[in-house]
Amino acid sequence: MANARLIIKRLKAVKNIRKITRTMELIATARFKKAMDRASEAKAYTQKIAEIVGDLSAADLPFSHPLLQKRDNEERVLLLVLTSNRGLCGGYNSGVLRQANICLKDLEKSRMNLVLEVSGKRGISSFKFEGQKTDLEFTHFEDKPSFEEVDKVAKRYVDLYTSGAVDRIEVAYTEFQSVARQTAKVETLLPIQDLSTDDKQEQSLAVDYEFLPDAEAILEEIVPAAFKAKLFKCFLDAAVSEQVARMVAMKGATENADEMIGDLSTKYNRARQSQITSELSEIIGGAIALE
Amino acid sequence: MIAANAIQLTVVTPETTLLDEQAAVLRFPLEDGQIGILPGRAPMVGRLGIGELLVTTSKGSIRYFVDGGFVQVKGQSVTLLTNQAGKLDEFSVADIQKTFDEAIEREVKTPAEQAHKQHDIDRNRKLLELLKK
Repeated sequence: MANARLIIKRLKAVKNIRKITRTMELIATARFKKAMDRASEAKAYTQKIAEIVGDLSAADLPFSHPLLQKRDNEERVLLLVLTSNRGLCGGYNSGVLRQANICLKDLEKSRMNLVLEVSGKRGISSFKFEGQKTDLEFTHFEDKPSFEEVDKVAKRYVDLYTSGAVDRIEVAYTEFQSVARQTAKVETLLPIQDLSTDDKQEQSLAVDYEFLPDAEAILEEIVPAAFKAKLFKCFLDAAVSEQVARMVAMKGATENADEMIGDLSTKYNRARQSQITSELSEIIGGAIALE
Repeated sequence: MIAANAIQLTVVTPETTLLDEQAAVLRFPLEDGQIGILPGRAPMVGRLGIGELLVTTSKGSIRYFVDGGFVQVKGQSVTLLTNQAGKLDEFSVADIQKTFDEAIEREVKTPAEQAHKQHDIDRNRKLLELLKK
């Protein structure tokens, strides 16, 4: 009977898909662990930077640096959107792109000139579909963004900002808060609004530091360093969130496939049984007719 | 707990914590010259230069390479924050020579590119000099 055949075919297809999603889930889990380790190692650096910034602010310096100053009339805004190169990661990309689009609309309303930079093939193709022109595209940031590569981007941004080519730099990415919680958001990178993290400041007040060569020179260097660390953190967060999203999505897909396999097997068994029953009744009917 | 005559040295780069161990003496470049650190140094925050970080421990001394960043001395602990660091013997002379030559040949158009080029030249020249020592 054709019905049972069809069900078998579907069952096979679902089983194959389940194999794929299960493998992807395992890969995503492994990658997530690696990305997570990298992110937590990078944390040591950001924390120390924050600590030194705290030390500096305790030294009663006038905090002035080109990267810290907010400009009165903002005309050109750069938006960097961090998406993934690969799909099959649930709502990860759409979440970031939604936030990015809200930001774009806001900018359009306030008649700002926009520079749009996108990382990740998914984001690029989405903007292409919407007919939004992008100014620069990256596809080389995978699940392990290296500091060297991010540093290049960061240096370019610092130059763009200090030369006045752009007046504000925003980034749309997925912030990693915990394994169960990641939020897509748009953050302002430059001008740096808040250099210090408030939790560190009090304890560092106690130490009276000697600054070599002097506090200004350190400030001059630490502001770009803090910016780079922040941008790097965005990339790392995005990478970790992507893997988490994929892990969750693939887990869901595997579970759904399991359910479907159960359903289809029941259906197949029923179809098979009814086929046998009808054959039997045909034979019996035939036998009776012969009597 | 660390002894009074030791330094707890931590070297951190944005990607990883490279080093976390006890040392007796440290020597590394600040922006304007070498600095040596013994246990009990007064608290300090400084800007690092490009060059060799010499860590002397009870077992002997190890040479590292650091490329800019900051140092913070606070009590017994010394923290070096640097963009790039590595063991000196892990660099290969041929590779460095190649990047050095490339940096010298590189054409630049903007002041930013010039600064970048100069940094590459300085860094690789310093590395070559240290490796040949």
